[in-house]
Amino acid sequence: MNRLLSNEFKNKSNRFVPYIMAGDPSIDVTIDIALALEDAGVDAIEWGVPFSDPLADGPVIQAAGERARDKGMNIIKAIDGVKEARRRGLTVPVILFTYINPVLAYGEEVIISKLKEAQIDGILIPDLPIEESESIQRLCKQYDKSLIYLITLSSKSRMEKIAREGEGFLYFVSSLGVTGSRESFSKQIDQSINDVKSYTDVPVLVGFGISKREHVKYFHSISDGVIVGSALVNFIGEKKGALLDSSQKEIAINEIKGFVVELIS
Amino acid sequence: MKPSLKFCGNRSYDDYYKAVDSGVDYIGFIFAQSKRQVHPNEVKQWIEQYPYKRNQRLVGVFVNESIEKMIEIAHDCKLHVIQCHGIESPKILKELKNEVDCLVFKTIHHHAKGVDLMLQYDDIADGYVVDTKTEDSWGGTGIRFDWDTIPLYSQEATRQCVPCFIAGGVKVENIEGLLNFHPLGIDVSSGIETEEQKDERKMMDMVMKVKNSYQAPDSLGRFGAFGGRYVPETLMYALEELEKAFEAVMNDESYFKELHREWERYSGRPTPLTKAGRVSESIGGAQIYLKREDLNHTGAHKINNAIAQALLAKRMGKDQIIAETGAGQHGVAAATVAARYGLSCKVFMGEEDMKRQELNVFRMRLLGAEVIKVTSGGKTLKDATNEAIRYWVTNVNDTFYLIGSAVGPHPYPKMVREFQSVIGRESKNQFVEETSKLPDEIIACVGGGSNAIGMFYPFIEENVRLTGIEAAGKGTETTEHAATLTKGVKGVLHGSLSYLLQDESGNVIEPYSISAGLDYPGIGPEHAYLRDLGRVTYESITDQEALDALQTLCQLEGILPAIESAHALAFAFKRAKELSTEDTILVCLSGRGDKDVHTIQEVLGGE
Repeated sequence: MNRLLSNEFKNKSNRFVPYIMAGDPSIDVTIDIALALEDAGVDAIEWGVPFSDPLADGPVIQAAGERARDKGMNIIKAIDGVKEARRRGLTVPVILFTYINPVLAYGEEVIISKLKEAQIDGILIPDLPIEESESIQRLCKQYDKSLIYLITLSSKSRMEKIAREGEGFLYFVSSLGVTGSRESFSKQIDQSINDVKSYTDVPVLVGFGISKREHVKYFHSISDGVIVGSALVNFIGEKKGALLDSSQKEIAINEIKGFVVELIS
Repeated sequence: MKPSLKFCGNRSYDDYYKAVDSGVDYIGFIFAQSKRQVHPNEVKQWIEQYPYKRNQRLVGVFVNESIEKMIEIAHDCKLHVIQCHGIESPKILKELKNEVDCLVFKTIHHHAKGVDLMLQYDDIADGYVVDTKTEDSWGGTGIRFDWDTIPLYSQEATRQCVPCFIAGGVKVENIEGLLNFHPLGIDVSSGIETEEQKDERKMMDMVMKVKNSYQAPDSLGRFGAFGGRYVPETLMYALEELEKAFEAVMNDESYFKELHREWERYSGRPTPLTKAGRVSESIGGAQIYLKREDLNHTGAHKINNAIAQALLAKRMGKDQIIAETGAGQHGVAAATVAARYGLSCKVFMGEEDMKRQELNVFRMRLLGAEVIKVTSGGKTLKDATNEAIRYWVTNVNDTFYLIGSAVGPHPYPKMVREFQSVIGRESKNQFVEETSKLPDEIIACVGGGSNAIGMFYPFIEENVRLTGIEAAGKGTETTEHAATLTKGVKGVLHGSLSYLLQDESGNVIEPYSISAGLDYPGIGPEHAYLRDLGRVTYESITDQEALDALQTLCQLEGILPAIESAHALAFAFKRAKELSTEDTILVCLSGRGDKDVHTIQEVLGGE
């Protein structure tokens, strides 16, 4: 089953997809957070895998990755974490967000087949442009998983090619640069998203730099949904102490849930 | 003589342009009924869309077709060769030849009397293709015949003074066996396909093996399985743009004029070839020669590439360059060319390296560059490169990323190779002038691998042993080394697939070497390819061995080499001992050691 291709996900509007780093501050807490996010009403979850050289990420997600790696997190444990989350009742679609090297380290087919085993619905690899994605795309088809592609303002003549290959959703990168909060966004986004939508019926979600309620509102008005990463990861990072303390954990999780509810509302 | 090579059965535009790019001699299309059959209009359109190279010939394959039809198609598709693949009689061939300008080849379906059949076409056929015929198919079956009979066919064709191609079941895996029979020509179809399509990598391997001619990288920037473009989508368009600009200047005489003038009058090229007479004598083996890249402006080969890329940046209208640096040599080179050509320059450098190379940091600032301290990760070259890429992603529209080594996403490894191969080209001329022959072996150190690839590339098709030297640090049996090819596994770092020092989860491991220039966990993808092809051998040398060699060169020749280059020297000294005094070794002395005096002093103390 691929939940990204279900009518439920397809027919939604104003989607809200948070990104969390697996294993920050521990895999158990990540699972608790995921369940709380589902409660808060998110439409899918991006499940981050830490990597030593995260080229597309800004300082917030880099730091979260370091915290997770210090705890021994890796791509296999991250995938197993989703499996456990499913067992504990997580039902929203999950997309594994990983750089290509950890995938190659275990073998493409090993990883893609494990996605199926853990009931992960899609995979997003930020340093795997469409030209290099042939074999993984083939495997994703074989295992009924969606390979999520990035489209950026600088894709220009490449936009159509990518849009036509898209499945699950297309991740429209709001601005040049790495992940992390931004105050303002380019005026061209509106037009570019329309261009992308002229080539495909797949939902187009916007991410990178979205940190405030106003941003969410704005992008909901011009696209099919938003992805929020660094702002949430930063918030989780601040609560690290409480999340690891059994007496304070529940409150901290509730605060995280509240943070997201506030963004969506 | 190298056999002629024909890629047959091209059935799509993709197949066709891949064949053109491979540089193969003959490109074949099948107009007869076959799973590879194409329509003449398609072929016509393809050749208009993408012109083939001047030395390439188009072949049309027909089976018992009418003369009129063959003439018509040959004319429409501008064929150079008509291949009669059925049971066309000598009389038919004769008639056909009277009507067309192109050559006419006859296919001989191998059987016991195959050679006798060739006699009937003597003076008529302009060439032969020997193929396997089965009950239900006119060749193209992918089945090989008894290759022991090849010399008989070749003999008869040679007597007739025409070419003779061997077809049927030829593939990359058995091509070496076929070459042992010294065929005059080779015809491949299914052997270069994957899932019914021509496969660029197989085509490239085939050309490399048959013509001993080196074509890498392919149009996607792949050296065999290595290389490519593993970067965020944000950079893809910029890389495509860069590739176009690079290919354009490669064919632009005015660019080369300017580049060569700058190399000569600004950097001091050509750099000399120096015989290390006293060292050679003391070793008592091979004669050692040094290519003196240390005598370049700024003290290393890095400037060759920096000048070339800066001139390219200017032509692309980019007024800001960024660069990463480890020891600071490439940073200094980038800062230097930025000053020379009026560009603004930011150099990313790890906090640790900034401490170790204080002098170079000062030098870069003196040259007007902004040095940006990198505090992420291990705070060394790898992290500086990450940070440079992150900056580039953010400022891609007006910034040119000047990569200093033969690493990174396509087209960087190819571009750096082209710009650094001035080292090998000059060496070739100088060496022949000095000794009347080519060296027996060439040795260069490899971090990312820019000086090595620049030195090796012009010699790849020559009969010269090529050896790259990695840094073994405190020994490859320890965890403190930078011997990527010796100890690494395949992986992606900084935009390309190559070998990589990494843990089992795919996280990159911090390397170690006394030499900052070799202290890199990856290696240029072309070196990975050359290693796997068996064309270049890679060895490693420890810190201590390099330091010893450095002192030897100082004491016996009065040359202080960079610690990086001392790795190549150390191996050359070892090798020279095994060889005779008649043999010659050329070492790429990639840089001078002034920058290392501080490090050397620390290690050697008051000795």
